[in-house]
Order: sequence, then C-alpha cells, then structure tokens
Amino acid sequence: MERAENISVAGWSAPRARVGWRVSAKVFAAILLAGAFTSAALASWLPLQMSIATVFLFAGPHNWFEARYFLMRLPARFGRSRNFFVVAFAGIFLLTLGYISFPALYYANLWSGANWPTAIATWNSALLLWIAALIVMRGRQTSRRDWFWALPVAFTLCAVNWLAPDLFSLAIVYVHPLIALWFLDRHLRRTKPEWLSVYRRCLLVLPVLLLGMLWQLSRTPSLADDNGLFWRITQHAGAELLPNVSSHMLVSTHVFLEMLHYGVWIVALPLIGASGAIWKVNTIPLARRTSGFPKLIGAFLVIGLFAVALLWVGFSANYSAMRDVYFAVAVAHVMAEAPFLLRMI
Amino acid sequence: MKRILISSAAVLALFASAIFAFADIARPNPSPAVEAKTLLYSGLEIVTDPKAYEARLQISQDALRRMQQGAAESGATTSLGTRLMHSSTRTMMAGMFMFLAVSFAGVWLARSGQRRNQKAVVGVLLIAAFLGAATVMVRANAGPPGYIRWQNLPQHLKDGKPTYGGVSVEVVPGDGNIKLIIPLRTKNQGE
Repeated sequence: MERAENISVAGWSAPRARVGWRVSAKVFAAILLAGAFTSAALASWLPLQMSIATVFLFAGPHNWFEARYFLMRLPARFGRSRNFFVVAFAGIFLLTLGYISFPALYYANLWSGANWPTAIATWNSALLLWIAALIVMRGRQTSRRDWFWALPVAFTLCAVNWLAPDLFSLAIVYVHPLIALWFLDRHLRRTKPEWLSVYRRCLLVLPVLLLGMLWQLSRTPSLADDNGLFWRITQHAGAELLPNVSSHMLVSTHVFLEMLHYGVWIVALPLIGASGAIWKVNTIPLARRTSGFPKLIGAFLVIGLFAVALLWVGFSANYSAMRDVYFAVAVAHVMAEAPFLLRMI
Repeated sequence: MKRILISSAAVLALFASAIFAFADIARPNPSPAVEAKTLLYSGLEIVTDPKAYEARLQISQDALRRMQQGAAESGATTSLGTRLMHSSTRTMMAGMFMFLAVSFAGVWLARSGQRRNQKAVVGVLLIAAFLGAATVMVRANAGPPGYIRWQNLPQHLKDGKPTYGGVSVEVVPGDGNIKLIIPLRTKNQGE
C-alpha cells in the first residue's frame, strides 16, 4: 500500500519513453559518451566562454524542466508522506530565505560580512541536518529500511564543514551537478531497465574523463580574471580558496559538470519521457486528480516560461549582476532535488 | 542524611577540582602590538657551500610570484590551519559535531550489530578515513611538527649535508636585516 502511495503513477507510466522503441541501448550509450566527450573538450578549450554561454542558454530552461519534473513526482495525495513533504518544503523555503538573506543583508549595509565563515557554516549545518532528517523520515516509511546511519554521517559532515566552511560550500558547488546523474539512474531503473547497465558502464567513463582533465589542465596557467565577470566565474569555481591550483582547471571542471547537469535535465530525462509530454498539464498528478488544480499548475508552468524569458533579458542587460542573482536564487532548486531524489530511492 | 552529606561532599570536591584545573591553564601571552603577516608557506633547504664567499638566499620565480600575490592580498593566504586556530567558535562547533557523530555512530553500530550488518563497520571505517583525510587537509602539514626536521641541522652543517624543512615567509615591521628563525630545541627544551 505504501509502495503504491509513494509512486506517482503518471510519472512512471503515462508518457513512456516516446523515442524508447526507436533508440537502442547502444545508440543511447553513444549519445551519452559523445555528449560527455564534447562537453569535456569544450570546457577544457574555452572554459570562460563556455561558462558564460551555458549559463545564459540553459540555466533558466533547466530550472523549468526540473520544476516540471518535480511536479510530476509530487503525489496527488500525500497520505503517510505528509510529514515528509512538510519538512521538505519548510526546509526548502527557510534555507533558501537564509541563503538569499546573506548577500541581501550585506548589500543593504545591515551586515558587514565579518563573520562570514561562521554564517555559512551555520547554513551548511542546517542544510545537512535537514537532509539527514528527510533521510531518517524516508527510512521510517518502510520497515525494511534502517537509515539511522544518516545521523552520524550528517554530524560528521557538519564537523568537517565547521573546520573548513568555505571549502565545504565549494564541494557542494562541484557535487550538485552530479546529482542529476543519480536522478537519471533512478528513472532509467524504473522506465528503461534495459538501458541501466549500459548507462552505469558509461558512468565509469566519467571519473576517467575528470582525471584526464585534471591531469591535462593542472599544468596550465591560471585564467586572466582581469574583468569583473571573469573574476566572478573563477571565484565561483574556487580560485580564491585554492590559490595554488590552476583556475583554468577549476573553471573547466566546473563547466564540464554543469554541462552534464544541464544535459541530463534538458535532454536526457525529457528524451526518455521522464518529464511527460511537456505541454500536457494532465500528466501531472496534482492537475489530473478529480479535485485537482489543472489551471493553477498550468499557470505556474506558463509563469515559469516567462521567468526563463525574463532571465534571458536580465542576462542580456547585465550578465554579471544577473549571474549573481541567479546563483543566489537557484539554491532553491539545489535543495528541492534532495526530497524528490529520496522519494525515488 | 548520611547519603546526602556524602553526595554534597562529592559535588563540592568536584567543584573544587575545577579550581585546580583552571589554575593549571597557562596565563595567555600578551598579544604583540603588531603581528607578523604570513605571505607564503613553502619548503626551505639549508645547504652548505665551502666554495662560496657570501651567504645566498635563492627564491624560485613561482615562490616570488606567490609572495607578491600574498603581499597584495595582505593576509588572504594564511593557511587554513592558522585561520582555524584563530577561530575558537568553529573549533568548538566542529568538536561538538564530532562528539555527536561518534555518539550516534555508536548507537547505530550497536543496532546494526544486532542485525549482523557488516556494512556498518565498513561505513564507520570509511567515515574515519574521510575524517583523517579532512584533518590532513585542514592541518596542511600532516606528520610530525616542523621543528623535528631541523633537529639534525647542527650535525648536518658540520658534515656539510643539506637539511630540508618547512618555512613561513613573514613580513615584519621595521627596517632590520633578513632573519631566519630555526625552531631548534635543546635537549631540556624538547616537548
């Protein structure tokens, strides 16, 4: 019963891979590998340019696709998962508010930024404890699972975070893009299990690619961050925290991971039908149920499209400022991934 | 009544012991008016040259660039370990979370033991390895303290052998000569 409740049926069965019967596992693997190698080559060759172009083109659309995907995964009735979703949404809201308030308070001259490491360590700890709480709650939903291990692991990570909060935040920047690959894995497991082994073999290429990039780029001179935008990009990749590491290597690695992330959300998941027929609101359980909200969901998706267009206008007007605003606000989608991924495990 | 008296005496003795514990804490050193600014942490090799007439200080181009960068950023290059040592709040919080992690890991292990879950032990070992790696990263100079490397300097100087150890390049106020401070301990000063 619990199992049936947890699965938002529409997401797994209704759209069914639209190209599934035409694309074989080998072709799928070839697309994945070609995408990964092309991304690695472009990110290594033109790191700053690719960073600007990919964020400009794909940051907004990938958020829209993610939002739509999460709506499909949201059950029509929460049932026994009610508390799980209450904690999940409260955490997303409060943590996003906290994260945005740091720069807001700083720019409003209400905070000097003097205790920045302590502030960011506190936020990171709250994030870790929130994720641990979600894991434990999810584990309790079935008697077969004992996910109590999440607490000692979370406390250990909190301790490491307090030792080096800046580096811990940087680790989140690098780890987050990889979560998309986990989503793809879980989705393939349920909708295209015949592709799963091929996909996992392709994933083994990723560390090899990364090591190759690190080895090749570690000897390159740092990028010239002589203007505000390039400086922001190198800082985002951790150039200030790791002064003895080539910023070319850092930016390339980060851009490569981001390209994979965008590729999964915008290409791979919609291709296998994970996002449903994009324009059909009734593929979303909340809209399809008898007392559902089809108009509200439809309006939300249309407003989302306007937000994407607005982001493009903002990037065109002042790329640097818009990039800062985007990465501050986009932390919400980073956190939203945690509860929905847990629901798929 | 007797039990209350004994309990009260025990509590008082416990509080009294705190006085001794506090008395053992060394008085903090008065902080100097002007602190030296660390620009770079690098390696230092002391080599004798019987043919040379002048002492020479050789610095690589890369080290010089990093020193210039460090001077420009004034203190931004202080090591993670140094920054951590100056932040008691962060150290305390890390310690508290470490304590919680060990406590909850113990509870978890005990529960897992009942279920003969061997993976639990592997998980704990992985966490310990991760913590160890993080400690190495934070301290940045894993292994014995730096002065150990300089213990054989006098003998090496006599034998004409090179000696290698770590060095922090600092900028101090004033216009004095370049000074090289070697952490050499005599036998009665050793830890």
